[in-house]
Amino acid sequence: MPDITLSDLSLKDCNLTKRVLNLKDAYFKAMSEICVERPRLVTNFSLQNGLLNKDKITILEKARTYRYVLENRTPVIWNGKSFMKVMIPFTFNDNSLFAGSTTSKFKGVPLYPEFLALSLWPELWTIRNRKKNPFYISDDEANELNYKIFPHWVDNSISELTRKKMYRENLTKYGKVKYAPEMKLLERLVFFLASKPNCISHTIPDFSKAINLGLRAVINDAIARGNAASDASQKEFYSAIAEALEGVISYSKNLAKKAKQMADSEPDPVRKKELLDIYTINSHVPEFPARSFREGLTTIWICWTALHIENPNVGLSLGRLDQVLNNLYHNDITNKVITIEQAIELISCLWLKIGDHVPTIPEAGEQLFGGTGSNQAITIGGVDMNGNDAVNDLTYVMLRATELMRLRDPNLNARYYAGVNSKAYLKRICEVNVTTGATPAIHNDKAVIRALTSKGETIEQARDYGVIGCVEPCSSGRTYGHTGAILFNLTSALELTLYNGRHRHTGMDLLISKETGDPVSFKSFEDFQNAFKTQALWLVDQATALNNSLGRTHQDFYPTPTLSALFEGPMDKGKDLIQGGAVINSSGATIIGLADVADSLSAIQKVIFEEKACSFKELLTAIGKNFVGYEALQKRLMNPEKTPKYGNDDPAADANVTWIIRLMDKAFGDKENYRGGRYRVGYWTMTNHAGFGRLMKALPSGRKDRENFTSGITPVSGITPALTKTINSVAKQPPECVSNGAAFNLKYTPEITTPEKRDAMLTNFAASVEGCFDYAGSGTGAMEIQFNVTTHDTFVDAVAYPEKYPELLVRVSGYTAYFKDLNPQMQKEIIDRTEYQLSTGKYVCYEPFPLPK
Amino acid sequence: MGFGLDLASKRIKDQIYGEVTDEFLELLLKGMDLAFFFSGGYRKNIEGFKGRYLFRTADNMVTASAIFQDGDMQVRENGIKDWDVMVTFKNAAALRSFLFSKDQDILNSILANEVEVDGNLNYIYKFGFLAKDLGRRLGVI
Repeated sequence: MPDITLSDLSLKDCNLTKRVLNLKDAYFKAMSEICVERPRLVTNFSLQNGLLNKDKITILEKARTYRYVLENRTPVIWNGKSFMKVMIPFTFNDNSLFAGSTTSKFKGVPLYPEFLALSLWPELWTIRNRKKNPFYISDDEANELNYKIFPHWVDNSISELTRKKMYRENLTKYGKVKYAPEMKLLERLVFFLASKPNCISHTIPDFSKAINLGLRAVINDAIARGNAASDASQKEFYSAIAEALEGVISYSKNLAKKAKQMADSEPDPVRKKELLDIYTINSHVPEFPARSFREGLTTIWICWTALHIENPNVGLSLGRLDQVLNNLYHNDITNKVITIEQAIELISCLWLKIGDHVPTIPEAGEQLFGGTGSNQAITIGGVDMNGNDAVNDLTYVMLRATELMRLRDPNLNARYYAGVNSKAYLKRICEVNVTTGATPAIHNDKAVIRALTSKGETIEQARDYGVIGCVEPCSSGRTYGHTGAILFNLTSALELTLYNGRHRHTGMDLLISKETGDPVSFKSFEDFQNAFKTQALWLVDQATALNNSLGRTHQDFYPTPTLSALFEGPMDKGKDLIQGGAVINSSGATIIGLADVADSLSAIQKVIFEEKACSFKELLTAIGKNFVGYEALQKRLMNPEKTPKYGNDDPAADANVTWIIRLMDKAFGDKENYRGGRYRVGYWTMTNHAGFGRLMKALPSGRKDRENFTSGITPVSGITPALTKTINSVAKQPPECVSNGAAFNLKYTPEITTPEKRDAMLTNFAASVEGCFDYAGSGTGAMEIQFNVTTHDTFVDAVAYPEKYPELLVRVSGYTAYFKDLNPQMQKEIIDRTEYQLSTGKYVCYEPFPLPK
Repeated sequence: MGFGLDLASKRIKDQIYGEVTDEFLELLLKGMDLAFFFSGGYRKNIEGFKGRYLFRTADNMVTASAIFQDGDMQVRENGIKDWDVMVTFKNAAALRSFLFSKDQDILNSILANEVEVDGNLNYIYKFGFLAKDLGRRLGVI
């Protein structure tokens, strides 16, 4: 057992310092600004070195590009200026303890023309003023993008390179011109989304080498391995590693140099010392091993910025920081180099830095899926590789920093191993959820470890999992999992089944998949299940084929030397991550609409085939008319007492959920990815259940046109009155089939008006987690559970008066977000989630919030 | 800017602000063509740009093409085969929403499945900029 030396686990006497409060204030005040520095440098280097319009870009060419960018980007020590909303410039006392930045702006929008930056082209003159999440850009910057940068990438973005390749291959294969059917399905928006056109990301680097050995040692190792290698591609790989890491070191040294220059002319002795500290630290790390907690954090931060020069940040996650940094923290505390308050200040400053950028999202994306951050997950607690309690003092320090900061990024995830981790730890995690309203998410070590070992990971690898993006577990620094590769709309498989291979969104004249028969002619529920299975498998084929095609484009054009250097496997294999260099290779899909499809199957089973209360023809007519004129039928379909509904511990309803989960695990698990690994399946939906919901029509479950789907693995809102039954339905699902993670969203009424009530709530809260993680005494249960602990009235008020709630944090489905940034459809989904009172275990009834027009 | 452009700009403004008619696409393309001729700043947008666009309604009742090459734009009232991007739209209103979107319009055109794009999407992003840049120069966005 690690020694917990803290006398008060809540660290309630530690508060935010003036420095952090000022920086946090500026952070919330600042508008996001588009930064053109990276695209400018990448474009210039690519043009000067003939890297555009080639058939392939080598890893060494990529490494040289990143070195050039890192060596020539602006070394920002303290930004000190930004724009408020409505574009009013402001200044502030920027004295962060960490130098450097993801972009040249205080809160930047980094652009990657290799990916989707060109989707902002039509908005260059309007993006400053768009209604939701506007980005500031100056006229000069807009002109630079329009005239000098974007034109060079029209035929060179990953998606268009893929399309071109698919056209070529399909012309040979089928003799068809401009034929890329899987890409077309993607662009129809309602079937699945693929994230490779935007990034790979979604993985956890191994920072331990950088912290404990320093990058110079990694470079020397790469040079030695390169000299010993006989294979030309391996030699090139090792040269690329050295080249990329030299760039990272140069960037840190440029920051040090700049800090020294600023210190030389700084009259204020306090600021002068702070600048000299930055100079000393950044001169040393990440080139050499970190000697202190602050140097350890700086190493992570500098490597983090370098990784984002290489790849957009979509769920790149930091891993188990309380484990990676614990020795440095422990030494500094023991030797009185820092106090706990100073450690919290350092962590808070780093977390503000981590949130110094927002993803590039065009207007239509904002409307459908907006409000997301970069989903940078941090993992704490759980067990170590030997199965021992890994919770340490630093775990609690990070929890306190989270509690005080209440930030969207990073997304904190707490692991809990019942029987090994203490109940006091669990109660503290619950307490932070009550204080922040939404974080951390809690992961069930027993279920997750079972899920990962069932996919072939060793017990030690599985125990060392970290959480990626939203909720996806992967062995830290050794699984290259791209866990968010495919976002799969399961309700479209249902739609294709109901309409014999056609889809109401794309029109009934267009055969999308294959004909599986008119369901009116089906004789049994099994007939319908078989047709559904055929359609689902067909859709899985399309989604994985496209992902593999995109992956091969990444292999040809987008090697990742920096990430490969910070990972277990590539150095031993002499192979880039994208080519399969990691120890464990997998790809991740996540399913949207599980509960909606399962409840639809249950409705068809019960109402049509068992009770014959309605014909299939009548049901199709009813959903075709959005239940207008069929209100009684809709009411019956939505009534859990008349139609089995997932979330009520109803065996028939829950069995349909299990059937789908097993079906999808097998369908994806049978597919090989472009790196030789397998696909894994999860159930976390980010905002996609609202986005896809908006595009889809009424379902047999009783859900009406355009209504939100249900988030993650959560049952449908409003029809699951008893908390225990809801938990049981979710907890009984097989974790080994959910290895890409699952988000189970619960909403609890804050019952904290007196200290006694607060304590009772925390006790019940912890009990609900334990019940969820140990279904019927089976020793395992749900993979994960996450919460919103905010009153219904607060959410409703925040819709009307968003300016009153700039920091209202919510748990979406996986990640955390600021409520005000979510689109109206997603806000409605959060408001309508079933809310339980822990004191009674029952739900609280509210009228559904109006559907936005 | 010349008289021709003034006249065209008024008609384009009317189409963007007011009732949209089947002439919308033709007016927009011709308006762009005129603007390239009269405005050096606008013409700079297509220096070195090559792109072949086909616009059509699903029933082929309306078809038009725009070809950009050598700093010039050619507008044709018929289809072309070797397009970089093909935009199929339900009607002029859908196309207007798609190109001059504000707030919910892009989403609504997707929701209603009124506009479909085939081919390289970056070309449509470029065209979207050209349309909005024209709108900006005409003071309509």
